[in-house]
Amino acid sequence: MAGTVKLETMGKPGVFINCTTFDDDAKSASADNGMPTLRRVKISSQDFYKLRGKVETIRPLVEAVFDDIIDALTKPLTPEESNASGGKYEEESTAGVTVTAESYPAAAEEFNSVFLNNRWGDGLPLIPPTEERVKWMLSGTKRKPDEVLGRINPKQGVATIEKIAINAVMAGAKPEYLPVIIAAMEALADEDFDDLHVLASAGSFNLLTVISGPIAREIGMESGIGFMGHGWRANNTIGRAIRLSTLNIGHTWPGKNDMALTGRVSPHTFFTFCEAEDFSAWEPYHASRGFKADDSCVTVGSIHGESQLNHFYGGMIGTWTAEGILDRMVEDLVRTDRRGYFMWGTKGIGKYLGSGGGAMNHMIILFPELVEELKKIGFDQKGLQDEIYKRTSIPYDDLNPAERKSLQTAIELGVIPTDRKAVFEAALKPGGKVPVLISPDNLHFFVAGGAPGCAFSFNYYRIPPYNRTALMTKRITGATLTKAGAV
Amino acid sequence: MSEKVKLEVLNPRGVVEAKQANAPAPRLTDLAGKRVGLYHNGKPGLDNFFTVFEELLKNKYPTVKTNLIRGSFEITDKDAEAWAPQIDTFVYGVGD
Amino acid sequence: MSEKRVKLEVLNPRGTIEAKPVSAPNPRITDLAGKRVGLYWNSKPGMDNFYKVFEELLRKRYPTATTTLLRGAFLIRDDDVEAWLKEIDTFVYGVGD
Repeated sequence: MAGTVKLETMGKPGVFINCTTFDDDAKSASADNGMPTLRRVKISSQDFYKLRGKVETIRPLVEAVFDDIIDALTKPLTPEESNASGGKYEEESTAGVTVTAESYPAAAEEFNSVFLNNRWGDGLPLIPPTEERVKWMLSGTKRKPDEVLGRINPKQGVATIEKIAINAVMAGAKPEYLPVIIAAMEALADEDFDDLHVLASAGSFNLLTVISGPIAREIGMESGIGFMGHGWRANNTIGRAIRLSTLNIGHTWPGKNDMALTGRVSPHTFFTFCEAEDFSAWEPYHASRGFKADDSCVTVGSIHGESQLNHFYGGMIGTWTAEGILDRMVEDLVRTDRRGYFMWGTKGIGKYLGSGGGAMNHMIILFPELVEELKKIGFDQKGLQDEIYKRTSIPYDDLNPAERKSLQTAIELGVIPTDRKAVFEAALKPGGKVPVLISPDNLHFFVAGGAPGCAFSFNYYRIPPYNRTALMTKRITGATLTKAGAV
Repeated sequence: MSEKVKLEVLNPRGVVEAKQANAPAPRLTDLAGKRVGLYHNGKPGLDNFFTVFEELLKNKYPTVKTNLIRGSFEITDKDAEAWAPQIDTFVYGVGD
Repeated sequence: MSEKRVKLEVLNPRGTIEAKPVSAPNPRITDLAGKRVGLYWNSKPGMDNFYKVFEELLRKRYPTATTTLLRGAFLIRDDDVEAWLKEIDTFVYGVGD
């Protein structure tokens, strides 16, 4: 939609085609982009997706809407359409809500009805964010309530500390969790982070949130058996607060502008957990990314949707060795990432070169026993990155002509960044070995789980469709109720 | 004087009907000459565990006999009825 | 006897949306005869087939109209916009999924 508005504001009249399922989304997006009366023609979702494969099958659909498209291009604007200019577009009241009832339980039920009917909740009962409870929540941070972190898509709602605290109360979080939630929202609101794709795409993308550093233990997060599951107030309410904050600050709703077709797995809390630092033989993740080891950080990353994770086993499923699991990881990476080679030679699907399904980031969760064994055979995080990068490289002689051409084009277009160009130029010759990853840094290791544990991974585009990155680490600051994260 | 709010809520937990408790069977005081059953519930690695266990057992009790059976996670009634007469004591593993 | 009521006043959890200035779409071209119609394909599968039929129908109705198909990112890139604007009089943008 933004592209259509861009072209219109540059003086060209046009029309936007959308499918019926996306009509509310399109209407909402045209308003979000400042052109509520932009002309649109809708085509039947049921027909388009079924018939689009061939020209002969889609013909009746195009014939059915052809006149509508021509009219949209040529019929003069109505006074109503023209009068949009110069006005201001506002959507929702920002006032608080008051409910009264004969008892507290009845009032709480009435509050939940109002919020859930307004689409201000996630479908589960909420804790009422009274001024008193929000003040209590804000006692967890020394940051000012009116501090602005940024904006959240799709409606670019302003993310303030206070709004996050309100949603944290609703989620059932405690004040000592607030600095963690704020750091996660800082990442999502960062001007370089693509929150639009993960929050609104039809692909049902999900969010991985990993807390590392001493704060995790201080606030009682769980990193052992069941670490990605239910039962842990800190893990679950931090995730829920992020979910509610994005829903309310960004103004999303399923089917309206959050078009995740199947909905997400673990939709109320996303995947939120912490590293098992007490049992890990490695330094924490954030230390491998340039932060100080005794910092506390939150890493937020978009991950793929319905095909959630790639499993490398370990633990109780069978006897395992570190080498065996490493072999499985390598095999999986080669299989999935080589499929993306054909996209490397295109500009990509987004604003930045190489965006979309070309090269990936991999977020790999390793259980503590495995990390201990990896360390025994000489691997720290950096060493393992380099080893996997090397082992997943494919002999040039095994590539087919289309793959070779695509990778060559990727160098010419600048999809392969300047600092990696020499590596790929050297590889794209007989006898060379061509990486399936742009850089070893695209492998991110997190240590979590109990004994027995499992190794598995998520992945996502190295460069997302609508911004520079979808993986970011932020340091936790301003905590008042924990030693960690205070400064 | 501050007014306290009293919240009385009902218990959401399912009632578990109290079961009859039984004590374990009396122990054998000596394993010499006895028949020790080794129950393998199919979990990987237990075969290796029992291989070493048998060695150590036979070192300590040269006249002991072992009887390894491999069955489902939960021993079936049929297996239990057939096996019980063949053993004097048993090791059951592994509860994962 | 007065009825005791519980009042619950809660804060608004919604992010403030800064009101944006709005604009109207551009005036339409009343006749496509001799005009350059841009067809923007955001790379979603099937739109190429849609456009093939659209072009046929367009040429039947407006034999002197010309078309320029541009395949690009989900959101048209700035450098694509600048180049393309010079080549078209009007456009169709699809598909919004």
